[in-house]
Amino acid sequence: MATESPKETGRKKAVSWLTDNRVARSIFRRGYPDNDLDRAAVMFSNFFLHVLPARTHVHSLKPTYTWGLGIISLFLFVILLGTGALLMFFYVPSTERAYSDMKDLEFVVSYGVVLRNLHRWAAHAMVAVVFLHMCRVFYTASYKAPREFNWVIGVLLWGATLMMSFTGYLLPWDQLAFWAITVGSSIASYPPLVGEYIRTLMLGGDTVGQNALIRFYVMHVMLLPGIMMILMGVHFWRIRKDGGLSRPPAPLSSPAPGEAAAFSPHKTYMLVELAEGRTPMVDSQAPEEEVMSWPHTVFRMLVVFVGVVAVLSVVAYFFDAPLEELANPDHPPNPAKAPWYFLGLQEIVSYSALAGGVIVPAAAIIGLMTIPYIDRNPEGQGTWFTSGQGRRITLWSILVIIPVVIVLTYLNEHYAVRKLVPGASQIWVDLLNPGTILIVLFAVGSLYIWRRTGSSRMGALALYSYFLTSYLIYTFIGLYFRGANWAWIWPWQATGLH
Amino acid sequence: MSAGMDELTPRRRMLLGLGWVSFLISLLGPVLANVRFLFPNVVYEGESVLKLDALEKYTVGSITFFADKKIVLFREKDGFRACTAVCPHLRCVITPFVGAPGASPDILRARCPCHGSTFDGRGQVLGGPAPRGLDFFHITKSPDGRVVVDTRKVVAPSEHFKI
Repeated sequence: MATESPKETGRKKAVSWLTDNRVARSIFRRGYPDNDLDRAAVMFSNFFLHVLPARTHVHSLKPTYTWGLGIISLFLFVILLGTGALLMFFYVPSTERAYSDMKDLEFVVSYGVVLRNLHRWAAHAMVAVVFLHMCRVFYTASYKAPREFNWVIGVLLWGATLMMSFTGYLLPWDQLAFWAITVGSSIASYPPLVGEYIRTLMLGGDTVGQNALIRFYVMHVMLLPGIMMILMGVHFWRIRKDGGLSRPPAPLSSPAPGEAAAFSPHKTYMLVELAEGRTPMVDSQAPEEEVMSWPHTVFRMLVVFVGVVAVLSVVAYFFDAPLEELANPDHPPNPAKAPWYFLGLQEIVSYSALAGGVIVPAAAIIGLMTIPYIDRNPEGQGTWFTSGQGRRITLWSILVIIPVVIVLTYLNEHYAVRKLVPGASQIWVDLLNPGTILIVLFAVGSLYIWRRTGSSRMGALALYSYFLTSYLIYTFIGLYFRGANWAWIWPWQATGLH
Repeated sequence: MSAGMDELTPRRRMLLGLGWVSFLISLLGPVLANVRFLFPNVVYEGESVLKLDALEKYTVGSITFFADKKIVLFREKDGFRACTAVCPHLRCVITPFVGAPGASPDILRARCPCHGSTFDGRGQVLGGPAPRGLDFFHITKSPDGRVVVDTRKVVAPSEHFKI
């Protein structure tokens, strides 16, 4: 054994002085984890880390596999909880005070503007990152058995994230807030039979006023975060129960019939409980491809956290969160635009409220939730786009749907139902518009791919790519090509509000 | 040691089932009560009967836009008409009607800034996503000679309040 340098012994002394004393041991139970047993103990004896496994598969740590999107979403949520709780100290949800409280946060409260900026940009980032995370999970086929239900919970979390943003932007009580909620709650009134009840439930009355503000506030600071924390808890717990992050099936995992399983010298096996069947954990793991979670996983998480905080801090320092004029119930701003992540929806709503506000979102949510139960073949788990064929199908689906959406938008502009038949019944407007036509085209296109390739995974890849691309195009149209009275403009013609 | 369903006597199984059913029914009351709780019985919102200025203040051919009351008042040679200024699509306030003074209602145009619905002076949808036309309201005269619009009573767009 090589002799240790004096520097090395000094470091060891410092570490043991910090970690090997009565107080540290009373908290952490063990000294500095310098052997695998203690490293494993870090994970299962620490409340905050016990959701993590003692050992992590190397594939789960590949940055190009996950892009860290799930953990970034979690960190953004934590940052939002922290900044949100602080903002609550200076904000009163009253129509008379809310807007001036925002102005106070901007101009009077120390660091108030930074906190508000952090909260706003973290919220925008979370909407984007949660969506990208969903795309990652989809394109790596991670929604397949046994992870179907965790995908469903993920879709719910995406919806909850959007609801958090929606309830959050009423609170400043500015023009955006007032008219976004007026429009949003009116969309909620379109489902047949229950629509008007949902709207009354949201607003606590018939107009957007004090009752609506307090309802959205309670939803934003209490109910939705609570729901999200429960869903996130289940989401993370199920990752473990469903066998960790998805990865390609290990070639060595299942021994041939009649052959004993290859046990690993690095893994502890114990008989905890007698149960029927095999758990996914045991089923598909080659133990040799694992590393200790402490320090490999925990350190990476820390780096990602620091990165997220750093990027957000810079953005929050240089870019102020927008605040429009005080809410004016007499005049919507013109154009009255939703935040960017709802602009795609606003564009489809401008064809038909029932189609854009109810049918298309319902089809999207139901479609996303049922995908793992329809596409049941296990093909491609843990591989981006499944195969070369999957890659080609994804690319072509994106390329094909772009002109389709543009042509549909053009046709709607010149040959919409009411343009051809003035005074046509609303049923025809609701049934024949780009939103509903796209749903049919998506279904036909993906079923064709399924038939043609004989693989439901290829059909699913096409379907998701159609959905993703058209969603992005409509967002783009709403963002850059719509001006006053929601009329067509070129991006360079865009004027400020009013 | 718990007994499986099969090991229970029919009587016990029936009682157990009865217990479950009554438990579930007992949940229904609190759930419905809590849902009902969220629907307000009284709301303190704006008036639905709107009192405007004296009749003679509005000259023939004028169109007055009341942004705060969210109605539009037409004074035509046949009398008064009043319609809502709230777009039936998603409740944005429409822009004031545009057209030459005294122009026929067919030529008048109002648009919604949110999603671009277009309406003529009879409230009909000419384009855009609005599912129906603008509502027209019943008009009366108050004892002190002012125009009163009752937004609870919807009338035909062609109906005039004659003086």
